[in-house]
Amino acid sequence: MNFPANALGNDRIVFEDVSKFYGEILGVNRVNLSIPPGITSLVGPNGSGKTTLMNLMTGLVRPTRGRIEVLGYQTNDPEHLFAILGYSTQFDAFPKGLTGFQFLYSYLRVSGRNPHTAEQMAWRAIERVNLVEASQRNIAGYSKGMRQRIRLAQALAHDPKVLVLDEPLNGLDPLARSEMIALFRAAATQGCYVIISSHILHEVDVISDQVILLSNGYVVAEGQIATVRGEIQEHPTQILIRCTRPRELAAKMLEDEHTIEVTIHKDEKGLLLKTRDADGFYLALNRMALNGIDIESIAPADDDVLSVYEYLIGNEEVVR
Amino acid sequence: MTNPTTNRMTSGMARIWWAQIRAVIRLEMKKTFFARRGLWIYLVAALPVFLFMAYAMATSGRQHQSASLARRGEKPLSYQDLLAVKPGMTREEVVAILGRPPVNFHWTENRTKEANEVIHVMHESYHYSDGQNDLFVGLADGKVESINIHEGYNPGQDSIMFAGVFQFFFLRLAVFFGCLGIFMNLFRGEILDRSLHFYFLAPIRREVLMVGKFLAGLLATCTIFVTSELLQTVAFLWHFSPSTREVYLYHNHGLEHAAVYVGVTVLACVGYGAFFLVAGMLFRNPILPAAAILIWEAINPFLPGILKQISVIYYLKSLCPVEIPSPPGTPPLLALLISNSDPVSAPVAVVGIVIVALIALYASSVQVRRMEINYTTE
Repeated sequence: MNFPANALGNDRIVFEDVSKFYGEILGVNRVNLSIPPGITSLVGPNGSGKTTLMNLMTGLVRPTRGRIEVLGYQTNDPEHLFAILGYSTQFDAFPKGLTGFQFLYSYLRVSGRNPHTAEQMAWRAIERVNLVEASQRNIAGYSKGMRQRIRLAQALAHDPKVLVLDEPLNGLDPLARSEMIALFRAAATQGCYVIISSHILHEVDVISDQVILLSNGYVVAEGQIATVRGEIQEHPTQILIRCTRPRELAAKMLEDEHTIEVTIHKDEKGLLLKTRDADGFYLALNRMALNGIDIESIAPADDDVLSVYEYLIGNEEVVR
Repeated sequence: MTNPTTNRMTSGMARIWWAQIRAVIRLEMKKTFFARRGLWIYLVAALPVFLFMAYAMATSGRQHQSASLARRGEKPLSYQDLLAVKPGMTREEVVAILGRPPVNFHWTENRTKEANEVIHVMHESYHYSDGQNDLFVGLADGKVESINIHEGYNPGQDSIMFAGVFQFFFLRLAVFFGCLGIFMNLFRGEILDRSLHFYFLAPIRREVLMVGKFLAGLLATCTIFVTSELLQTVAFLWHFSPSTREVYLYHNHGLEHAAVYVGVTVLACVGYGAFFLVAGMLFRNPILPAAAILIWEAINPFLPGILKQISVIYYLKSLCPVEIPSPPGTPPLLALLISNSDPVSAPVAVVGIVIVALIALYASSVQVRRMEINYTTE
């Protein structure tokens, strides 16, 4: 995708031909993105450029080439950018000797809030991440999960429109993970832009509205997972069908020229089909259904992030 | 014509910036004053105080001796009385002027003359004091042969020593390295601790952050070094009698000098602070820029006029209230280092140091905007 200069919208996070090199080392190269509201996951192996993309988005590093705008704001303008953006990094950023509450309160005071507002906002953020009990303890004594939550609270504290979260579920127990996912989902529902990087693909699958797949500094694919899957032509689409007479259906399906392979399920109540033309398959299926075969369910079997990731990047470092 | 809406916006922004600066100062002050790695700065600042305290203790012992000697004398003496004794006077003339000596020694010397003839010479040593200055008179066979006056401690003389310590230890080393320790760490220390992004993730202009940090550093260094300077003055004056102190402070510009020293200390913190702030952003290793600035400041007297002006010590020297005379026989290069051969007026010096600091702060503001944090490599 190439965006002409005048197409940089105010309601999107836009990367226009962005490259970042650390000396001779490639961070990301020729990235063009237009990220809409909702939850967008950055997926890729270590060193693929996820954190670099996030740092570029938040102005912590400057692009070697290209242009970035976050809802119309330049990333070299932190005063305005961070008024609408919260960034939870992978790394601790805690000034020494502060309690959880003092950390958030100081952050909000540095942001220019008056003492009363800063206090209210700090407490609200602490409550949102369920850290009230530990809020008066020194952060140095926090567990990994607590530190993760206080970082999330910092990103959320000023009710930003854009949330950039680098591995936000790391170190959290299952209950806290589901609470945080609900929090991100709620923010996305309210029209926020939630950008998440994660290695944990099944979680990405559950929470993401769209994904950006990165490999070796390049954006390999972006968009809604199903759309991305649809664009991958070299891998046939896999469809799982639950029906009453799978062998009969399999025989009919193999008559279709686009069907590559059909596997009968072990329980003899369904089949897994591989086709190069999913749309053609669905039309053919309609005709067959009319011929007396009871079809209970049809579901794509490989339009999840994991499959897309494996097709496009390979299965290196995938956490299922 | 200015737009009222623009004016309101500008004043609103200024209010927010000021609130942010205060928030940064509050955070930084905690770190600066109570950092374990900054303890040496307190020690460096306290060293000249200890020096003057030790000096005061040492001199007060001698002063007690002189006062005791004066009390034991036959009559109260003045400094003029002590000066009235001349070589060649007889014992009686000396006693007539100064009275009988409270302390005296005598011994006999056997001198061998020609033809192995031995004569006996009667030596006497008289010791007088006016309470501050001591006179040692040596007599041989009843006539004054030698006179030694040990002048006592007076603030006028000691103020030159104070000026020397102030210029050559306090300003050039204590304040210099103290500012290095505090201002260099404002950004570099945070990068090493991986805590700088706490600020970089907040909606604050980088320049406002830089000003906040600079003011925090300035407040810390001024508190430490101005306190040290005031304690030095107290320790310096401690051993003088109340009347001597009063004369020095209120009639011999002592109070004025103390105020000027405080002002020079503050300006030194401003100048060196600005230098080290920018150096801390530009260099990973503080030793190199510190050594470079130290050498640059040291060779300042030997630099051409235009280069001299890009320095802090050049202006500070001109502001110091007491000129340090070069002792006779000092090598010319050393004399050049001690004396201020090219002084500027006080207003020019103040403006000069402010301009030098502003240039350094401008460089810092450019650099802080360029600063990047790369979590994967920092």
